[in-house]
Amino acid sequence: MAEAAGTLWRPCSPWGGVARPGRYGATAGAPGLHVAPRDRLGLATIVAANGREGALAGRLAAFGGLPEPGKACMSGERGLVWSAPGQWLAVAEDPRALAGLAEDLRGLAAVTEQSGSRAVLRLTGPRARDTLSKGVAVDLHPRAFEPGDAAVTVIAHVGAQLWQRDAAPTYDLAVPRSFAVSVWTWLDGAAAEFGYVVAAG
Amino acid sequence: MTAPALRRADAPPSAQAQRVAGGLIDRIRPLAFTFDGRRYGGFQGDTLASALLANGVRLVGRSFKYHRPRGILSAGSEEPNALVELRGGARREPNTRATVAELYDGLEAASQNRWPSLALDALAVNGLVGPVLSAGFYYKTFMWPSAFWETLYEPLIRRAAGLGRAGIQADPDRYDRTHAHCDVLVIGAGPAGLAAALAAGRAGARVIVVDEDFVPGGRLNGERREIAGRPAAEWLAATLAELRGLPEVRLLTRTTLFGVYDHGAYGAVERVSDHLAVPPAHAPRQRLWRIAARRAVLSAGAIERPHVFPGNDRPGVMLAGAVRTYLHRYGVLPGRRIAVLTSGDDGWRTVADVLAAGGEVTAVIDSRPRAPEALRRRAEAAGARVILGGGVTGTRGRLGLAAIEVVDGRGVGATIACDCLATANGWNPAIHLDSHLSRRPVWSEAIQAFVPGPAPGGMIAAGAAAGRLTLAECLETGSAAGAAAATACGFAGDPAPAPATDPESTAHTPVWRAAHPSGRRAAGKAFVDLQNDVTADDVALAHREGFGAVELLKRYTTLGMATDQGKTANLAGLGLMAELTGQPVPAAGTTVFRPPVTPVAIGALAGTHRGREFRPTRRVASHAWAEEHGAVFVEAGLWLRPAYYPRTGEADWLQTVIREVETVRARVGLCDVTTLGKIDIQGADALAFLERVCANRLAGLAVGRTAFAFMLREDGFLKDDCSIARLGERHFVMTASTVHAAKVMEHLEYGRQWLWPELDVQLASVSEQWAQFAIAGPRARDTLRAVIDDGFDLSNDAFPFLACGAVTVGGGVPARLFRLSFSGELAFEIAVPASCGDAAWTALMAAGAPFGIAPYGSEALGVMRIEKGYAAGPEIDGRTTARDLGLAGMVASDKDFVGRRMAGRPGLIDPDRPALAGFRPVERGERLRAGAHFLALGAAPSLKADEGTMTSVAYSPSLGHWIGLGLIRRGPERHGERVRAYDPVRGGDIVVEICAPTFIDPQGERHHG
Repeated sequence: MAEAAGTLWRPCSPWGGVARPGRYGATAGAPGLHVAPRDRLGLATIVAANGREGALAGRLAAFGGLPEPGKACMSGERGLVWSAPGQWLAVAEDPRALAGLAEDLRGLAAVTEQSGSRAVLRLTGPRARDTLSKGVAVDLHPRAFEPGDAAVTVIAHVGAQLWQRDAAPTYDLAVPRSFAVSVWTWLDGAAAEFGYVVAAG
Repeated sequence: MTAPALRRADAPPSAQAQRVAGGLIDRIRPLAFTFDGRRYGGFQGDTLASALLANGVRLVGRSFKYHRPRGILSAGSEEPNALVELRGGARREPNTRATVAELYDGLEAASQNRWPSLALDALAVNGLVGPVLSAGFYYKTFMWPSAFWETLYEPLIRRAAGLGRAGIQADPDRYDRTHAHCDVLVIGAGPAGLAAALAAGRAGARVIVVDEDFVPGGRLNGERREIAGRPAAEWLAATLAELRGLPEVRLLTRTTLFGVYDHGAYGAVERVSDHLAVPPAHAPRQRLWRIAARRAVLSAGAIERPHVFPGNDRPGVMLAGAVRTYLHRYGVLPGRRIAVLTSGDDGWRTVADVLAAGGEVTAVIDSRPRAPEALRRRAEAAGARVILGGGVTGTRGRLGLAAIEVVDGRGVGATIACDCLATANGWNPAIHLDSHLSRRPVWSEAIQAFVPGPAPGGMIAAGAAAGRLTLAECLETGSAAGAAAATACGFAGDPAPAPATDPESTAHTPVWRAAHPSGRRAAGKAFVDLQNDVTADDVALAHREGFGAVELLKRYTTLGMATDQGKTANLAGLGLMAELTGQPVPAAGTTVFRPPVTPVAIGALAGTHRGREFRPTRRVASHAWAEEHGAVFVEAGLWLRPAYYPRTGEADWLQTVIREVETVRARVGLCDVTTLGKIDIQGADALAFLERVCANRLAGLAVGRTAFAFMLREDGFLKDDCSIARLGERHFVMTASTVHAAKVMEHLEYGRQWLWPELDVQLASVSEQWAQFAIAGPRARDTLRAVIDDGFDLSNDAFPFLACGAVTVGGGVPARLFRLSFSGELAFEIAVPASCGDAAWTALMAAGAPFGIAPYGSEALGVMRIEKGYAAGPEIDGRTTARDLGLAGMVASDKDFVGRRMAGRPGLIDPDRPALAGFRPVERGERLRAGAHFLALGAAPSLKADEGTMTSVAYSPSLGHWIGLGLIRRGPERHGERVRAYDPVRGGDIVVEICAPTFIDPQGERHHG
């Protein structure tokens, strides 16, 4: 995604029409879930060229190497999330941080810009696990899914990628952009009984 | 014996006159409720059934077929009789079992299947014509004449069938769905289940315990028992406290485990708010749990068997265990004068418990010639008449039990006054869940019932569900099962030594049918299945008429169908059939059970996915703009696409679409084509890969150029058409049609991963990354120029038809530009990052304003592609070949590709196959209809005379009449010929002229301009 300086072309959040800061759902007690839209992330798919995974891993040392299947390797906002055999999602705090990646990996992997393709939410709080469990069939119990684990799954009938950032627990959830409103509608219903807070995007 | 004083069941009951001391009800929290409009009182902790019984109400419904008065048989989810309508308005729900409906303040309940009132039911006359309505009645009666099937018989049956009425308004409540995972799932929180949960939980396993009741404990709450020398309630409290303290144990009450599925998947429904008048704000009414468990312990308990004797359905006849439950758990004595009919020692516990509570036991009838002396003496001391080797041969009372007719072992009859008859005939393990995976239960001689078969996959039965009926066995087998399940999951499971219990006897000789000791059959209807009004005579009739096999018996008599699935009836029916056929019960067979164990609301299965959210919706980049500007949307797969953008003053969609088409043809239009599938293809072998996937040649495709391409399925039929843009030496982007996008991606992945793994190709879907807009019309270039950053030459020489390339827009936003036209006009498609889609759309609309730009939707898009004769979804429908659509000339002959061999099959190259042509009405004012069949002029309509179909039609604003595309035999050779377009469904039959499919600008001068 291009952050065009000096342009009127302001990027539009996929959550723009639905995620407004504030508290929603049940009002008693502390909110069970905190939701933060993550609109400015840089995203790109990395697909390894045939037989070049080893070399690719070396080149991506700055990202912490290539995560194993089912794993995410994050350092702050930057890292790689496994997404399919030989495929990863590169994540960065800003799309510009990924600008040179395609050139860096030429011959080793196909890099495809995806910054605008996913609608990403950061979910945390005491009921984050319970909320997500309403949508995903993945076992999110700490014995089964820990910080650094990632899943390619389906949430509320929508293909999704999910990775856990910390033991709070905090999760990042990425869904295809065009589905954002439907996913939000589901989230609103799922989290209502716990009460949730939406942070500014 | 004096005639009993008949107490009118419909007389106003005194306030909770049947309430006695004790129970788990909260007497400082009284609740008010209504039944059939009359107000009653109950307590927190009551069910509707216990509260009705406390108020002396025995008559609660009418039976399904004969409209006989019915009462409350049981105290649990197996209840066949006491089905009521709960709540009103949009929340009205039929067929709720009063025995599990938790009482709340303000509850409204109504009886079902009665008219005009419960006490006076007009259809009860059905009972008098009983023989006519016997087994197989529907099959025999509603046969001839067949003309009556739909007009008379079906409405008749539908009116008579069914019990309650569902609400007809939309359900106002929220339903939730969730997933849970555990090592050990414990089904049922009675003594066995709690012992299992404790053993597994102590071992450290993740445990989920589900119980359908709102109070855990199972039968412990309905009995007077001791564990380790103390009242069982103390053990229960201590066990629950320990379980609640174990962090990995989750106890779900009000939750019915209704189905077992493959691979350790289980379905459960939690009634989160059913015990409240209205769910609290933000809380769901019910929650569906999809549980994945590595092991399960089936500790669902057992269900008591009724006795089959004439008049056994009269309100007041109850299961003996249920009488104990009402007494101990709810503090309700279900009758003032209670008689007990038993075939084993278990019924004598009811005698003892009723006496201990200060109730009156008028008689005890034990079908066995002998009963333990101590039990007998105690009953007689309390004034009960004890009859051994006898039975009940009939009941009396208009709307409720007033007396029973009994015979003793010598055949001497008597009438005994009573208002409640407690019947004990042994217990059937609740094995329903065990048979969901098609396991057959096995017969246990010891308890004369079916028990789970051996080696259940991943599921261990324990306690009464396993046929181990005593409390001591429940505690022991439960603990062992829990420990074994935990061990199987890798934990060190260790069964705790089972605590001692007070002694109990399960001595029992079941009775399948009350025979008159004189050898005569007792007269009157003896019910086997109370819910379906199936009698012992119906079972005998089915046997006589050759429907003796159990599966036939079920279907012929409806025994075991409907909401209770024969929980109290099936074994009685089997036992009767076994007697009739002279074979042991297990030889007569058993029916197995399907999910759900008890009814599940459809709403719970749907969760939040209903109405607009039934399926997720995809929104295009310009969705917000389109909504704001009044666009009308159409569903295309999951997408919502703007179909057209009406303006004030336009009378209908056609007027709007004509205006949009004319704007594009004369000025410039903007269309959101974000829905197209976009696939990024990179790698050293990307071109070779595409050559194998596509049927046309791509080798000459230069960087910066776009090709029209199409691919075949492996069977040789056309799969999809697409455009392929070469962005770099090793970098392509394919654009597939909206509806085929996902399938095309799958197809490419199949080629990459399976057919040619040796090729160096990398695929990535970029459908979501790029918002894409078509700018079409004579002023398209002028419009675009105002948006594209300086330095990009859009002239026809620099950027000709089919050119593609990277540009920037809006001061540095990277974009891709394609010179493609689906309208036949000078046109471009511009792709911008999806996050800038909204901005790009707004900018393009502003840039085109001086030229009279208008947005156009999928309708105008469709009109223009038909005017140009481009095949789309209606033509590429999976049944057409490249040749059918006039693409034969593009199919490469000098390369191999997917589908090449199969496309050469004789049937696919038959020159007589219908092929693409254009059509126009000979009478220009006539309207064409898609779906019309082509017939030769004068030919009678027949399958043989059918020459093809009209696939797409549109009103062409450019030509001023309707035009169509269609597939007709040898179409391309027949331009100028006239045929009939025959459309009997909509009464269409007009003459059309076959013509070239390209109606506008056949030389393509405009899009090259």
